[in-house]
Amino acid sequence: MNEALTIDGLTVDFGGFKAVDGFTTVVQKGELRVILGPNGAGKTTLMDLVSGKTASTQGSVHLFGENITNRPEHIIARHGIGRKFQIPSVFRDLTVRQNLEVAASGEPGVFRNLRLHMVAEDRARVEDVIAMTRLEPVLDTVAGELSHGQMQWLELGMLITQQAKVILLDEPTAGMTHAETFRTAEIINEMKGSHTILVVEHDMAFVRKIAERITVMHMGKLLAEGPMEKIETDPKVREAYLGSGGIH
Amino acid sequence: MSSETSSTLPSSTSRLQRHADWAVYALFIVMVLGAPLVIDDVFWLNRIAKYLVFGMLGIAIALSWGYAGILNLGQGLFFGLGAYMTAMSLKLMSATSLQQGSDKPVPDFMLWNAEPGAVTDLCCINKGSFLWIPFQSQWFGMAMSIVIPLIVAFVLSSSIFRLRVSGVYVAIITLALVLLVRLLLIDAQPITNGFNGLTDLGWLTIGGFEFDPYMVETYYVVAVSLTVVLLLGRWLVSTRAGLILQSTRDDPTRARYLGYDVAAYQIFFFTISAGIAGFAGLLYVVAAEFASPSFMDIGFSISMVVWAAVGGRNSLLGACIGAILINTVEATVSETEIFKEAWKLIIGGIFVLVVLYLPNGLAGIARDLLGRFERRRKGTPAETAPKAAE
Ligand SMILES: Nc1ncnc2c1ncn2[C@@H]1O[C@H](COP(=O)(O)OP(=O)(O)OP(=O)(O)O)[C@@H](O)[C@H]1O
Ligand SMILES: [Mg+2]
Repeated sequence: MNEALTIDGLTVDFGGFKAVDGFTTVVQKGELRVILGPNGAGKTTLMDLVSGKTASTQGSVHLFGENITNRPEHIIARHGIGRKFQIPSVFRDLTVRQNLEVAASGEPGVFRNLRLHMVAEDRARVEDVIAMTRLEPVLDTVAGELSHGQMQWLELGMLITQQAKVILLDEPTAGMTHAETFRTAEIINEMKGSHTILVVEHDMAFVRKIAERITVMHMGKLLAEGPMEKIETDPKVREAYLGSGGIH
Repeated sequence: MSSETSSTLPSSTSRLQRHADWAVYALFIVMVLGAPLVIDDVFWLNRIAKYLVFGMLGIAIALSWGYAGILNLGQGLFFGLGAYMTAMSLKLMSATSLQQGSDKPVPDFMLWNAEPGAVTDLCCINKGSFLWIPFQSQWFGMAMSIVIPLIVAFVLSSSIFRLRVSGVYVAIITLALVLLVRLLLIDAQPITNGFNGLTDLGWLTIGGFEFDPYMVETYYVVAVSLTVVLLLGRWLVSTRAGLILQSTRDDPTRARYLGYDVAAYQIFFFTISAGIAGFAGLLYVVAAEFASPSFMDIGFSISMVVWAAVGGRNSLLGACIGAILINTVEATVSETEIFKEAWKLIIGGIFVLVVLYLPNGLAGIARDLLGRFERRRKGTPAETAPKAAE
């Protein structure tokens, strides 16, 4: 089974307005897919539909062959979808280490977690992720006090610790400095291969650094799909971006 | 008084802080258990026993408000239910229930209000009296003091949290519920003695030993219970589940996306908190010898929240100490009539100040002081100030 995420005819109707409209795509295992599209194209909504935040009105989502359409968020997460939000979402009152520890628990139930210590395997994963995200110096800092970049990396780190099979990243470099963006590209490149990733991103320099295949969305529909070179020269894509200043 | 009051929370630390934390726990437990050695006035000891019960309520509040972020303004419901269950059993053990010309116990108030010619037996003296039958066993009543709050809390929280009700709405619902139950309780006069509550109770009796509320032994029943609840609570919040619970408080959406069924955690801890309040109700009846609908007055439930806020809602021990301290001061102050009224104003003022400026209460001050001391000792700058333990 090489199809990690299969989205088929996915549609959501917000009282007549279809933010995502019959969207279909297949993401292969280990692939890094970038989703482009002008503001309001429906990219975030697509992620909401896949991750269970919003219920779709038509179509289906399959994860490694299993139907996860419109299941509750935590069930979808347990099936292997991890999600990073446009606004960094971490546990602000917990320390960085505690954030990762919460993400590490392989066991979701209350009663199974009535114990003081972590399973050795989970602990090892936390250590690995700390090294990868370079959060070592701030481990005991409360997450709410991290810099914007660190917070984003922590959230990424949590997705890795969580062992998500398919990771959805919504504008992971939004608001980052150049150096931070560069570091994020490094982390994402490190994740390549071992994770299947879907990234929404506006920053074209960043996209060039990480992209393999690109999907362009426009008005809730799939506009084009293919490798970078093909997308950049696609007349339909150029036209869609005209209003918003073209691909930058 | 919103549960969203901004705060930077305690999240774990340094070794010194952890040690200090345990030292404070140890000191507290030694003081609670050692109090009878210093205080030989049994009336004061009995008073303190009641305040320790309030301390237990502080723990219950801290668990749901501080750790789960659920502001329950109706904790008095669970306390009251717990109190009534045990009070029913103790009522049947009272001499007043046996001296009514029947060989089986019947509460005196039922006899006073009985229809002429009614059979003076719990089975049928009035329509609801049969409910009292199992309470002839003291152990049944005591078990129900915990079981009933657990069941009610479970049913209530299941509906609230599955529907993702949160924040101030939970506070309103719990508040409304305690009011409602209080009315029902008063209304069910034939079986609850309505407004007057249950008085003239017998004493808790274990293995032939009668726990007179004005005996050191009774104080110890309360003190040991509090110690056990405090340590169990501490263990609970230190577990993985306790950490996950705190994560659901900070950001429920993130917790869901990590695969946690947030409602399950909220239901579990809300229910445990209710069980603790029910147990506190049981102990209160043992020490105070009455149960009354006033336990379900809104003012009482709100007081609990104030105690916890002042002591530090993010700390089980802080909230517990807050409750004991405020009540002790109040008792001392209320001896004079003028102060009694002023006290209400003072405590209200303190509460507002705490909510505005000290979201972590007394426990927060202690942590800050310790953190400052630690930094000075290490000579490190203040920027990565680790927030304290628990
Ligand atoms: N719950 C909702 N109800 C109604 N309309 C919605 C809802 N959620 C999103 N929309 C609309 O759907 C459209 C797509 O929004 P979406 O946030 O998915 O765009 P996007 O591609 O992520 O844009 P951006 O690049 O600005 O982040 C927008 O017009 C938005 O206003
Ligand atoms: Mg978006």
